[in-house]
Amino acid sequence: MSKHQYAMVMDLNKCLGCHTCTLACKKQWTDGDGMAYMYWNNVETRPGQGYPRNFDRMGGGFDVRGNLRPSKLPPLEDYGEALEYDYGQRLFGGSKKPVMPHVLADYGPNFDEDMGGDDTRNPYHFYLPRICNHCTHPACLEACPRKAIYKRAEDGIVLVDQERCRGYRHCIRACPYKKLYFNVVESMSQKCIFCYPRLEKGRPNACAAQCPGRLRFVGILDDQESPVHKLVVQHKVALGLLPQRGTGPNVYYVPPFLPPKAGHPRATVSQDPRLPVKVLERLFGPRVMDVVRSLEGELRRAQRGSRSEVLDLLIGRNDSVRYALRPDIMKRSASGK
Amino acid sequence: MSKGDDKRNDGQGLTRRQLLQVAGGAGLAALFSSDKASALQEFEIADVDPLKRYPYRGWEELYRRQFSWDKVGRSTHSVNCTGSCSWKVYVKNGVMLREEQAADYPPINAELPDYNPRGCQKGACYVEYVYGAQRVKYPLIRAGERGEGRWRKASWDEALAYVAERLVDNIYKHGPDTNTFFSVIPAMSPVSFCSGSRMAHLLGGVFCSFYDWYCDLPPGQPITWGVQTEACECADWFNSKFIVLWGSNISETRIPDAHFAWEARYHGARVACVSPDYNASAVHADQYLPIKPGTDAVLALATCRYLIEQGVYDAPYVKEQTDLPLLVREDNQRFLRMSDLGPKTKLTEATFLCWDASTEGPKPLPGSQGSVDKTLKLGSIEPVLTGRWTVRLADGKPVRVTTVFERLKKQLSVPLYSISGAARRCGLSEADVKQFVHDFATRKPAMIIHGAGTNHWYHNDLLNRAMILVVALTGNVGKNGGGFNHYVGQERIWPEHGFKALAFPRGGKKQRWQNTTMWTYCHSQMQDPHRINGKPIEHYILESVRQGWMPLWPENNWQALNAGQLHNLPRKPRALIVWRANYLNQAKGNEAILRSLWKQLDLIVDINYRMDTTALYSDVVLPAASYYEKTDINSTDCHSYIHPFSKVLDPLYESKTDWDVFGALAQKIEQVIKKRKLQPFEDKKLGWKRDLSRLYADWSDDGKLKTDEDAANFILSHSAETKGMTYQSLQDHPRRFVATDPKAWNSDIEVGRAYTPFTHQVEKKRPWRTLTGRQQFYVDHPWYVDFGETLPVHKDPQDDPQYPLYWNTPHGRWSIHSTWRDNRYLLRLQRGLPLAYISTADAKKYGVADNDWVKIHNGQGAAVCKVKIRPGEQPGRITMYHGWEKFLGFQKGGWQSLTYIKIKPTQLIGGYGHLSFRLNYWGPTGNNRDVKVTIEKYTGPVAALASSAKKKALK
Repeated sequence: MSKHQYAMVMDLNKCLGCHTCTLACKKQWTDGDGMAYMYWNNVETRPGQGYPRNFDRMGGGFDVRGNLRPSKLPPLEDYGEALEYDYGQRLFGGSKKPVMPHVLADYGPNFDEDMGGDDTRNPYHFYLPRICNHCTHPACLEACPRKAIYKRAEDGIVLVDQERCRGYRHCIRACPYKKLYFNVVESMSQKCIFCYPRLEKGRPNACAAQCPGRLRFVGILDDQESPVHKLVVQHKVALGLLPQRGTGPNVYYVPPFLPPKAGHPRATVSQDPRLPVKVLERLFGPRVMDVVRSLEGELRRAQRGSRSEVLDLLIGRNDSVRYALRPDIMKRSASGK
Repeated sequence: MSKGDDKRNDGQGLTRRQLLQVAGGAGLAALFSSDKASALQEFEIADVDPLKRYPYRGWEELYRRQFSWDKVGRSTHSVNCTGSCSWKVYVKNGVMLREEQAADYPPINAELPDYNPRGCQKGACYVEYVYGAQRVKYPLIRAGERGEGRWRKASWDEALAYVAERLVDNIYKHGPDTNTFFSVIPAMSPVSFCSGSRMAHLLGGVFCSFYDWYCDLPPGQPITWGVQTEACECADWFNSKFIVLWGSNISETRIPDAHFAWEARYHGARVACVSPDYNASAVHADQYLPIKPGTDAVLALATCRYLIEQGVYDAPYVKEQTDLPLLVREDNQRFLRMSDLGPKTKLTEATFLCWDASTEGPKPLPGSQGSVDKTLKLGSIEPVLTGRWTVRLADGKPVRVTTVFERLKKQLSVPLYSISGAARRCGLSEADVKQFVHDFATRKPAMIIHGAGTNHWYHNDLLNRAMILVVALTGNVGKNGGGFNHYVGQERIWPEHGFKALAFPRGGKKQRWQNTTMWTYCHSQMQDPHRINGKPIEHYILESVRQGWMPLWPENNWQALNAGQLHNLPRKPRALIVWRANYLNQAKGNEAILRSLWKQLDLIVDINYRMDTTALYSDVVLPAASYYEKTDINSTDCHSYIHPFSKVLDPLYESKTDWDVFGALAQKIEQVIKKRKLQPFEDKKLGWKRDLSRLYADWSDDGKLKTDEDAANFILSHSAETKGMTYQSLQDHPRRFVATDPKAWNSDIEVGRAYTPFTHQVEKKRPWRTLTGRQQFYVDHPWYVDFGETLPVHKDPQDDPQYPLYWNTPHGRWSIHSTWRDNRYLLRLQRGLPLAYISTADAKKYGVADNDWVKIHNGQGAAVCKVKIRPGEQPGRITMYHGWEKFLGFQKGGWQSLTYIKIKPTQLIGGYGHLSFRLNYWGPTGNNRDVKVTIEKYTGPVAALASSAKKKALK
């Protein structure tokens, strides 16, 4: 067990679906050789197929006895190729042909954006941003035969050693979130590093720091002053993704609740939710409706004019509310190794 | 020349070519499908438990090295997104690597959420354009047909001479009004804007509008308030208790600001989203109203009726701040004026009366344009809102009068505006409408956040006026957290005085202005088939021009012409210079323009850092510095701060900043004039003797404005808003404006308070900038009387009923107009090609499947593109988020191939108090929401895929 655990809370009721997090991460970390198709951070429309396609139905993680249940290795088609374009021939070369991509996409990291549930009377969808969950029991770590994946003792960040990894990809099969990616040029697995070089310098993760929706909260889970402690432990309004996979994810979500259905403006989420309960329960586990009901109650109170402590925190007025970074812990541990 | 510079080092030890190699795909796919991993162990690590301790952590330096840089510069983007976000650009080994929001806007106060981090996914990958394959690197002169993409590389000297010779020819042979200049939105980069507007000014050229042309201007604001557009800064959303997103999809199109609304909700606001489609903003609303397209005025007016019927409107506010107590003559539907009761003068013509309860008679109200009392304070007057009376005119004739309020009540009494009538017409449930009007009646402050979704309809003036009426009846205008806040485009420039002095140094009266909607419509073979009161729009345009209400350049003998000649005028424009804009791609009636206007012009110049559609269809393309290679400043309606563009690196390749381009062009024109020994000429129309042999001296103000930094400092030092600031002082962090120029603004900037407009009127009781000096809902111009639009009213869309589906082209999340539409980083997160969204029901009806190629067409043209089925889309329309470059992925046409220009005559009027032509303030809008089309599956040929890109990738 790590001494401390960095965690992130994402409030899905603030997510704009804008993918600034995705681009922030891409430009920071995955703009190199062999990385074009990979998104350490991605945003997907739910319900939907996700990225890679149907990752959440593939398996991975642990069974009830604690044994690994690896899935198949997702083929490239389920990620989608990173499109390249022939701008030059049309714009500067006199070709009459329109600028085209090198392949006609039939899947990609955001292929079913905004499609959601197919209820045409009361359509529903929400956005789910995802990074590596830096799990308490990382299946990737357990699956790696070279022990090239480790969990940092000082802060719980899970890393793939980029010198020792040999690209066997057992980690990819083991991860229930499919948040490790194979770099064919480097012949290595690569993944979200929770921006440890940024955190060490006191700057929040790129995906959080650049999030215009301001929905990400970062801190040490056992630091009682940190927003993640307050949201996850104290107020209990944030839940991990696919908790039944047994990996103990450390990215938590404030679950979404959508507007009431047409014609029922005063209906509560318990009475007749626009977003089917089963969609939420499949992603966030059995506790999710308790959290949604509690949040809805807080919201109603706020809208009647009272102040809500948890909503006030979720407003996240500035960086000092949303982030409680501990570079001190990180540096001490790192230098003390 | 066509090949991108592959040698760019991305700073991570990887070249761009290497990066592309991987993207080829073939090798990657093969490796992926094999699963032959075996547990080779190079050395013994059995003792290590990597869950607890890991001994080999030296490699972690790898990522620490990646998070390092040599230099950071502060800049932003000039794309008219209304964002105005300050960014830091990170440079390593002389290459711009990436950008990150500067996130250092100072807070307004401790209670309001701050503005950080401000910026979206598009700003986060602008560097791609700096080095990308679309970059224009050298001056180019067309070597083939327009639009063919065949160029020859030219020297700056040759390219500038080419342009200068032709501009001078036009001036001396055809007149200065045949040279036309188009550049948009000064607020996003005023120095760059002014570089060319000064040139237009000094050459006597025609300067075109943009805000009305792009239909971003909400005409209801000039009509009702006498202003261009005034909105609260977005932090003020947090102060609201009821927010209506009306035609504004903030989560997609106001990405940096949307958080204020969702945080306001946590602070006790209810949020309602009125939109035909279930979108990214509807997701977070407390109420979602899936309204039928084009019926929004019905919902607004039903709300007004409810407020009035229930007596829950703010009567004291309405009496003091609006024209609703003013008296209207029943015989001619005109306001009762003082001139009706006594001598007729300019002042009495513009003085209006109410029925005063204390004296039981008509009483002139202060504050109107004709009143000497420049206040809204009623004093002892007690205006009555309802009643009918008889007054005796100056000639002794009795006439029946009533109030605007009474007329409004009567107009709203038809079944359409009842709760049930509105629900039926809007396709909503009665329960939802009831909740909506109830929230307006009970929650304060309440605001409408308004956008292009509704503003792009033909009847946008009526829609605006109806919505403003809702927030005025409830007393929400001019209050923090309230109002009708319209955000479409960065049209408003805070340091206005300095900007104007730089842009048009001899003043507006010495400048030829042109509403672009009229210019484009009249100078191309486009015909709106609709008849308005039995007459074609050409009739009204000519009447407006003859009356001197709207200008139309070049000058022609309007009295001698008939409406039929409007599209083939004796004097036509000859040159078009475009910078900071993509005129052709974004022009409604694209096919007609290419067929006619584009063929008539004998010089088209585009100044650009990237080859966009307008550049592609130009004669000369001059390479401009990118947004990270220039000196300029940037501001927006959405916040109250100013911050800079900077030369993070000096202009790359052979590019120059806009300031330097026009400076060099001025010098070149001077040379041509001197070489040809051309004499100064008298520009009689403007009373200006133009000596172009000293053009550069005039343009640079005798060398005082040599550099772009000189120009930036000129604006800052000549504006009350930026008093004490210099360009260099903006480098530390964005600076909040320190004051407002009361000539230009309607509220002060106050420390600790979010800016909201019209506190001068509501708190200080200064008159509104309208004919009546009040928020004016009644317009008695004869055309408004003729068209039945004296008061806000619902009118059905001006559509083409022979086609079944509306062609909806809103702003979206993946581009700012055409910018970023062709950016591969973003295309990878879409489907890679232009995409039309269709509802599940319509997909079935028209036999198309998800991801099919489809042909969308109408009488104007056709577009062949991909289709996506979206359950949240409403049956009866097709949506394509706007801005796709014509050259990318369409197998035929483009999104503007289906549109045409429809001018509304009510927007052509002038000579009516506050309603007279003013560039980007008052002029017909280029609406496009009423267009209709049909759709079918397309099975024709599709262009070859980008084999070159693939080959390049595999090299």
